[in-house]
Amino acid sequence: MADLIQTLGAGILIGCVYGILGLGIVIIFKASEAFNFAIGEFLVVGSFLFYIFFFDFHLPLMVALPLGLIAAGGMGALIERLSIKPLLGRSALSMTIITLGLASVLRASVQFIFGAHSYSFFIELPDFTLEFGNVLFPSERVWAALLSLLTFLALLFFLFRTRWGVAIRAISESQAKALAFGIDARFLMLLVWAASSMCIAVAGIMISNFGALSYLTGIVGLRAIPVVLIGGMDSIGGALIGGLIVGLCEALIGSYVEPLGLVGFKDVAPYILLLIVLFIRPYGLWGTVRIERI
Amino acid sequence: MFKKFFLCVLILFLIWLFHPSSICAKTIKVLAQFPMSGPVGSLPEFGWGFIDGMNYINGKGGVNGKPITYFVEDMRYSPTVEVANFTRYAAAEKKDELLIASGYITGALKPLIEKVNKEERIPWLDGSYSTEIFGPEGGPTKYPYYYSLGATYGDQMRVLLNWIKDDSKGKGKVAIVYSPTEWGRDPLEMTRAHAKKIGLQIVAEEEYAFTATDATPQITNVRKAKANYVFYHGYSGAAPYTAIFMKTAKQYLKNVTILGTHYTTGHYPILIAGKAVDGMVGACCRPQVDEMDNPMVKMAHDFAAKYNRKDGIKDMFLYMEGLTYALIFHEALTRADNAGELTRAGVKKALDNMVWDYHGLFGGRAFSYKSHTIPMVRIYKCHVEKEVEKGGRKIGVGTWKPVSPWINTELELK
Repeated sequence: MADLIQTLGAGILIGCVYGILGLGIVIIFKASEAFNFAIGEFLVVGSFLFYIFFFDFHLPLMVALPLGLIAAGGMGALIERLSIKPLLGRSALSMTIITLGLASVLRASVQFIFGAHSYSFFIELPDFTLEFGNVLFPSERVWAALLSLLTFLALLFFLFRTRWGVAIRAISESQAKALAFGIDARFLMLLVWAASSMCIAVAGIMISNFGALSYLTGIVGLRAIPVVLIGGMDSIGGALIGGLIVGLCEALIGSYVEPLGLVGFKDVAPYILLLIVLFIRPYGLWGTVRIERI
Repeated sequence: MFKKFFLCVLILFLIWLFHPSSICAKTIKVLAQFPMSGPVGSLPEFGWGFIDGMNYINGKGGVNGKPITYFVEDMRYSPTVEVANFTRYAAAEKKDELLIASGYITGALKPLIEKVNKEERIPWLDGSYSTEIFGPEGGPTKYPYYYSLGATYGDQMRVLLNWIKDDSKGKGKVAIVYSPTEWGRDPLEMTRAHAKKIGLQIVAEEEYAFTATDATPQITNVRKAKANYVFYHGYSGAAPYTAIFMKTAKQYLKNVTILGTHYTTGHYPILIAGKAVDGMVGACCRPQVDEMDNPMVKMAHDFAAKYNRKDGIKDMFLYMEGLTYALIFHEALTRADNAGELTRAGVKKALDNMVWDYHGLFGGRAFSYKSHTIPMVRIYKCHVEKEVEKGGRKIGVGTWKPVSPWINTELELK
């Protein structure tokens, strides 16, 4: 029983981080129908920006974290201005393809600026280690889940309780109608990319704190693909639940299926689950079902 | 006037024509490939060590006065890239000029078997310590042109299993965590066989990927199996996944010893994982970088200072690794030249007959290269004294201390 609680708990904690990673993709997709394939690189750049404020400038965490996130948001906004804005009005596919190129450029830039080696990453947060009997949840995992949930709530507040949030939801319904109502879609797209970059940076900082930070940390971005496809590409709640499903799936398979001889199955399992979900619900579990005239 | 000028030109031409260096001058070319980026390399030190070593050798006259032209390639820890690089150089360079080559990944050795051992017949030195290629199933009879620069992973694991047996008084329960790569899986069979032979129980085998964000499932399984010794094999000590594993293991596994093979037994795990690696035990085919009484280590430090690398080097271990390649290339080429056979076959003969102390690399012990491996291993234990703030971030301060003498696996594992 303790093993099961340990496994489920570990899956839920990492699942929250995956959820926030998925959210970074969902809000861009909702606003523009583009898929950001540069998510791994956004994660690395966001983490390095925090790293500079916290480790290089020696700022206290309470200052370095907001500054790092603002810088990550600024980076997202800048990238949107330079590479996405010129494509407004074109198909979402062209934006998606641009993000593939963006990934290469960012990855090379990170290696050029920060080098290819790992950076030690220890954030000292109050000890929240949960330990009872044989069950143990390390403090940094608990913090990662808490901060991810906080970010999720903050984003929900922004989207549902602020004017800009309402406007973003409006352009995600229909860009043309929103423009007709005088909503500045161009500015809102900038805001969406900034918010997405901030979400991804939170996930990146937490994941780096599990181990170390290097340009290779960006590989984690791949986890966001099953998360959003299972949860639904345009569902904010679906991103969180998709994250939890992927986290639990990895943990359960790792603990109970791999020891039966199926080594390495943990990494494939979320994609198999994804295929099953897509066969049953092609738009994901909570995605909007669209009926299009062909 | 014209006559005098003509005579001068003629004399100069004859001097040039019959000068010993122009008669004997032979172009010597070598190719070295290192993982300077990618999932395990992540560091440029390999290349720097090799380049500085080669510059030093050429500065001293190369091979008996003949300079070595060297090519360095980043193989990005990809078998495909390594194979493609070699194929390109093999096609572009003459067989009597490109005399020796090196690689750094187990996965490329197999696709290159035909090319290196039958088509090109070029001595190939590798950073892979593959048991399959260099162990009892492979070796010089099967792969005559392949050479490894260390003891096989299987032998490293056997040395560590013997240590476990002594340390646990024969009661150790062993778990193996390995990467899902040829490198990771390579020593498993030999490890299982040796554990059985010496009466140790392997209670868990876990794959842990380079892409992992969480090591909890693997570590939970190890804990469930009640292992008290955990091998962590097939990983770079410098990559984030190692820090994730070590930090998680430290919290979940009490009274458990983590054991690593050559590429995790270095300074970098201390830098990135701090106290989490305290107490780790590792088998290493090279001395540690703070063993300044070792002539080769001292040489590496002197080189780094001489070539102004000190500030850029994050891990001296890897710099020294690059340097060792340059030095063994030079040694083999010089021996071949002294024997009057500066060809690929001559270099192979020189390597096969080599009995060398590698500039004191193994505390003065010499090794024979007959088996095409350098069968020297030493066991180290990691001591992390503290974590200090350096450059604004916390890093571990510690060292690896030897807990065994240098072990010649060929002689002492029999």
